[in-house]
Amino acid sequence: MNEKVYNIDDLQNVNVDGEKYIILQIGPSHPGSGHMRIKVWLDGDIIVKVDPDIGFVHRTSEWLSERREWIKAVPIVERIMLPDTVHANLAYVLTVEKLLGIEPPPRAQYLRSLVAEINRITSHLYGIGIFGIFLGSSTVYMWAFGDREPFIDLMEMLTGARITTSYIIPGGVRWDLPNGFKERAETVLQYMERRLKDYEDIWVKNPVVQARTINVGTLKKEDAIALGVVGPNLRASGVYYDTRKHQPYAAYSNIDFEVPTMKNGDSYDRLLIRVEEIKQSIRMIRQILKDIPEGKIVADQIYNQLNPVMKKNYEEKKRVMFPAFMIHMRPPAGEAAAKVEAGRGEIFFYIKSTGDKYPYRFRWVTPSFRNLPYFTHVAVGHRLADLPTIYGSIDYFPPEADR
Amino acid sequence: MGIIPIPLIIWLIEDLLYLIIFPGLVTILVIVIVIIWLERKIAAKVQMRFGPLWVSKKIGGALQSLADLLRYSFQEVIIPEKADKLAFILAPGLMFAFATIALIFIPVGPYYSVLFPSYYTILFSLALIIITPIFAITVGWASDNKFSFIGALREGFLLISYEVPFLLSVVSMIIIFRTYDYISAVQSQLSFLPGIILNPLAALTMLIVMIRTTGRFPFDITEADSELVLGLYTEYSALFFGVGMATPYVELYNFSLIFSLLFLGGWWPFTLNVMNPIYGLILPGIIVVIKAFIVMAILVFLRAVYPRYRLDQAVRSGWSYVLLLSVLSVILSVGEVVFLR
Repeated sequence: MNEKVYNIDDLQNVNVDGEKYIILQIGPSHPGSGHMRIKVWLDGDIIVKVDPDIGFVHRTSEWLSERREWIKAVPIVERIMLPDTVHANLAYVLTVEKLLGIEPPPRAQYLRSLVAEINRITSHLYGIGIFGIFLGSSTVYMWAFGDREPFIDLMEMLTGARITTSYIIPGGVRWDLPNGFKERAETVLQYMERRLKDYEDIWVKNPVVQARTINVGTLKKEDAIALGVVGPNLRASGVYYDTRKHQPYAAYSNIDFEVPTMKNGDSYDRLLIRVEEIKQSIRMIRQILKDIPEGKIVADQIYNQLNPVMKKNYEEKKRVMFPAFMIHMRPPAGEAAAKVEAGRGEIFFYIKSTGDKYPYRFRWVTPSFRNLPYFTHVAVGHRLADLPTIYGSIDYFPPEADR
Repeated sequence: MGIIPIPLIIWLIEDLLYLIIFPGLVTILVIVIVIIWLERKIAAKVQMRFGPLWVSKKIGGALQSLADLLRYSFQEVIIPEKADKLAFILAPGLMFAFATIALIFIPVGPYYSVLFPSYYTILFSLALIIITPIFAITVGWASDNKFSFIGALREGFLLISYEVPFLLSVVSMIIIFRTYDYISAVQSQLSFLPGIILNPLAALTMLIVMIRTTGRFPFDITEADSELVLGLYTEYSALFFGVGMATPYVELYNFSLIFSLLFLGGWWPFTLNVMNPIYGLILPGIIVVIKAFIVMAILVFLRAVYPRYRLDQAVRSGWSYVLLLSVLSVILSVGEVVFLR
């Protein structure tokens, strides 16, 4: 009975230097870890090695989606990226549309871009808020989460749901713009522009924030490309790449916007770039609401499937009810892939269809998973107190990485 | 009881009343409860929230801290198996005790010299205040937790780097007032100018050290929750946790009293010098406590503005800017004493 039971974690912890290092297990239940475990080897206060251990909230989204009708995957992929639902929805629907060969009408394209940009702002505010509480500022945390609310209300006004909207369907969107949406949106945008000045005063230009973030967690341009980092983190390292610009989807080819990039790639740049992207999103929402064309919000292929009651409903309430086609959808055999620039970076979708009721292979890669190398490569050599700075600044969301 | 007149009883027990009621334990308890409530309310106001409101809604949730204290009192005490049990249990209590005992040597009125005659109150109070962080380090050591241990190490680093400036800033005031006694220090301020005008550098140093020593933002480094869970108190529960959490506020109260005595003119504008419990202790005492409370309120407001510094940044600034500031304040004091008087 004296046998010592080794578990795999003990074996991993065996280190040639014996007791030289303090091994800290940050998480999975720790205020600064989220749903993951970060194993840190410390030499005094200096981080020697970081091993992020993910998978605590793996939700088998691919497995589940391969065993359901095509349309039922929409709520599943949404629930993986809760601060960023619209983009997951959009990426999946774009892939299915490629398989089906449907092209949505222009108005639906604009509405997709509109709801995506609203969602991008809420996602960035979420990231800034988490960054705030990681550095110890409860004010920014409360502000950012409070200021998400007006945008979430906008989403509710447009889609009927606050977070998990399931708004985008193959061939179009589910609801048209409601009355009074444009005025309401303008009020919210003006509010946010006022608030961004407050954020600059208390957060971006705060000397303590600058002392904590400048030159912390720097990732050079070449390293960022080599590691496959995506999204705002990639652009903060100085790489001009945005899927919205380079492979436009939805209405982005018609919208005039800039892709902000930074030079240094440190934590402060990653904070600044999110603020800049919020400004760009505000600009885009204004354009979309001004330029949005009239017309149908679903493709003709879907519209023709509607029965008379549904058509009446569509004309009166501007609402698309699901025709039977949606549940019996059998996209022709083939493969399709799509990319979408989500709030945290690029989502990649790959689906293989055999012409069956269910997808044959369902594969997607989320931005947080691709930003994971940041931990192992950037945190080494910094102090323990820099780990939350790096974690917060890359806006890492464990459920999104685990899928 | 009829034989002994009531004033005589009061005279006999008035030093006990001083320790227990004003400005002793009861006042400390009230001040700590109110300042915690105020801290949460100020932060809530800045952050577009209501703050504590569930307990005693009509008075703005002011009894929330009292409710928390009661809750701590009835919680189960959990002591980790591998903890050094004696140190684990004793350290928070001793820390609180020493923080409170320091109050004996902080007079809030001229009558105090009758109760405890002493010419070295500044020295005694500083000695007692400097003892408390040692127990904080004991807390971190005793709980056998890596996070507590790192918290204790951080406390030690900061303790050493900020105590020298603290002592130098007080020394510069001792040089100006040419006394080791708070009462004479206040009286020389009443006859001339308050200390904050005589030596603003010392006042600034003292403020920075107060923020640091009591763990206010932006020096909330030993309890950094995103790094160390709760720092020193990670393994603590129940009343020990409550006492540990209340101690920084008691220290803040002590420091604020010292600050208002040395820099804000003590019981100015109450200049009546009567050796009487009411006119010599309670009325000036209320003025001093109000001044201290305002200082505390300003310091707890910082939570709403600043995030926290890193350990190395705080230690570096302690050994460079703050130390330089305190040395300059001593030079300023010497200069004033030599050239002005």
